[in-house]
Amino acid sequence: MRALILLKLAARSVGRNARRSALTAAAMVFGLALLILSRTLAEGAHEQWIESAVRMGTGHVAIQAPGYLESSDLDDRLGAAESARAISAIETVLTDELVAWAPRLSVNGLASSAASALPVRIEGVDPTRERAFSDIEDKVQEGRYLEPGDRLHAYVGIELARRLDLKVGSRFVLTAQSASGDIEGQLVRVSGIFRTFIPEVDQALVHIPIETAREWLRTPGAASTLALLLRGARETDRAVEALRGELAAEPNVRVLGWREASAELDAALRIDDYGDYVFHSILFAIVALAVLNAVMMSVLGRRREFGVLQALGLTGAETGMIVFGEGIFLTAVSGAVGVVAGFILTWGFFRNGLDLSRLVDSEAAFAGAGGIIDPVIIPVFHTDQILLSVYFILIIGALSATYPAWRASKLDVAEAMKFEQ
Amino acid sequence: MSDTNTTQMAVRTDDVWKIYPMEPEPVEAVRGLTLAVEPGDFVAMAGPSGSGKTTVLNLLGGLTRPTRGRIWIGGEEITDMSDKRLAYLRMERIGFVFQAYNLLPVLTALENAEFTLLLKGVPAKERHERVRALFREIGLEGLEDRRPGKLSGGQQQRVAVARAVVADPALVLADEPTANLDSTTSAALLDIMDRLNRDHGTTFVFSTHDSRVMDRARRLITLVDGRIESDVRRDTTDAAP
Repeated sequence: MRALILLKLAARSVGRNARRSALTAAAMVFGLALLILSRTLAEGAHEQWIESAVRMGTGHVAIQAPGYLESSDLDDRLGAAESARAISAIETVLTDELVAWAPRLSVNGLASSAASALPVRIEGVDPTRERAFSDIEDKVQEGRYLEPGDRLHAYVGIELARRLDLKVGSRFVLTAQSASGDIEGQLVRVSGIFRTFIPEVDQALVHIPIETAREWLRTPGAASTLALLLRGARETDRAVEALRGELAAEPNVRVLGWREASAELDAALRIDDYGDYVFHSILFAIVALAVLNAVMMSVLGRRREFGVLQALGLTGAETGMIVFGEGIFLTAVSGAVGVVAGFILTWGFFRNGLDLSRLVDSEAAFAGAGGIIDPVIIPVFHTDQILLSVYFILIIGALSATYPAWRASKLDVAEAMKFEQ
Repeated sequence: MSDTNTTQMAVRTDDVWKIYPMEPEPVEAVRGLTLAVEPGDFVAMAGPSGSGKTTVLNLLGGLTRPTRGRIWIGGEEITDMSDKRLAYLRMERIGFVFQAYNLLPVLTALENAEFTLLLKGVPAKERHERVRALFREIGLEGLEDRRPGKLSGGQQQRVAVARAVVADPALVLADEPTANLDSTTSAALLDIMDRLNRDHGTTFVFSTHDSRVMDRARRLITLVDGRIESDVRRDTTDAAP
């Protein structure tokens, strides 16, 4: 009963001191709105980065032979039978979340032309599936991407083409160790030249038709990786778990999420996350200080009021509870308004993306860890992230109200009631 | 004084001292105060500024604790009472009227006046009836929904008096209640308190500089330098309205 009276009094104090409450709330609303904007843009940038990297790499989920992740060796490959069972598992367990999958047979080798010879990463791909999976076709600078029916065609990075002095239609030789252990050569012709702005890709990646690769490397039906593209990175854990369950009886098949398969990307994202945490911590600290300052000033200015409450029969602890309750009410209301303000700010100004292209010299500045961040960052809303922000603001409000509440509870009533003209 | 006498008194003190630890030397605000106030009495404490009047009221109301000595309210010793119990005792037995009115600014006149009843768990209907009846009695009818900022000084002090007496406390402590009021408003307020004292038997103890308050008091205690200099019981028949 008394607690209810105290809460009512706290709510009334907040409601009837509109200007004071508004000033206190403004700091929290502003902080939360900025936090939501920052979080949604950071999430958007991350998702774009991950999306780009998984499309360029081994997907959200990679199915490989055990040991391939560590060796990248042709010996660690999925045979025709394992590939078939893995494909069957994909089609069985991933019905809704799967966007595309693509087989790849990869080997490290040498690309030689009349001009030079350079180490390359050769990937045998299914042109139709690769088109649906990656956006490498969109990166074409000259010529075209591989087509179904192509046999001796190659799609090469722009830097590699420059160093080997290749043009569309030029022939060059790929050399690698086949499954039999022999060094084998394969003559191919340039069908197209691409540019991803990822230096290691533009310098060293060569796509050739997977059937040509299998024949050349004497690995019929084999694949180094079955790469799976899901609707979003958040589907990864569930998909990995489902596939591992389905393929539990296959000792020569390993299912990896993108964080395991792309350790570099995972590390880069974690570093980026850490930067976000530091930024958000600073933001939280500013909000906390603003709230603490506002609530504290309000308490110091109301010493006599709290003295009266205690003279009328409240205990010190109950007086502190009123101040704490005011802080919680303010925080709750500010939290709700802050979320709405955050949505309006984000949606109103940045629904078409935050365009940072003017701030950088080229798109290359945004490339890293196997992916590219588009200079136009589209904000992404995740309910759990928003709730987390609200939760933190509530904690900050509660913590910021604790000290003023303690001060109010320890008031010297006789001193507080002294008459001042 | 016997325990029986202590029980019969509205308030009693025995050799109470209040010493504030100040630099360069402690300040003795109250020095050896021994006092007994009978129920239904109308007592004024006069004295120059710094004589200890407000400190005595704070001691009697349990708002500050004595450095030494003992204090009883209605027979119950409050000297070493816990803060929680003391707060409860204030709510149950004591009403305060302050020089600066000290109404809660976020509450209306009615809400301010009913606050003690609210804390005591009196149902809303009964609270409102009691406050409205009292407001009629002291000329505040129609001002129930105004907040303190929208009331004159005299109206605010009447609300403060209503707040102090509405829960029928045994003792009302009033610290210079007329100090900020003009003579007409002061007289009206004193009439109200006098009537409440006579009709309800509420014990009033004032601190005051105001001769009009002293004239109305049935007992006048004069404090000088924290000690009782004189304690005179008076016939106020002529001063009564």
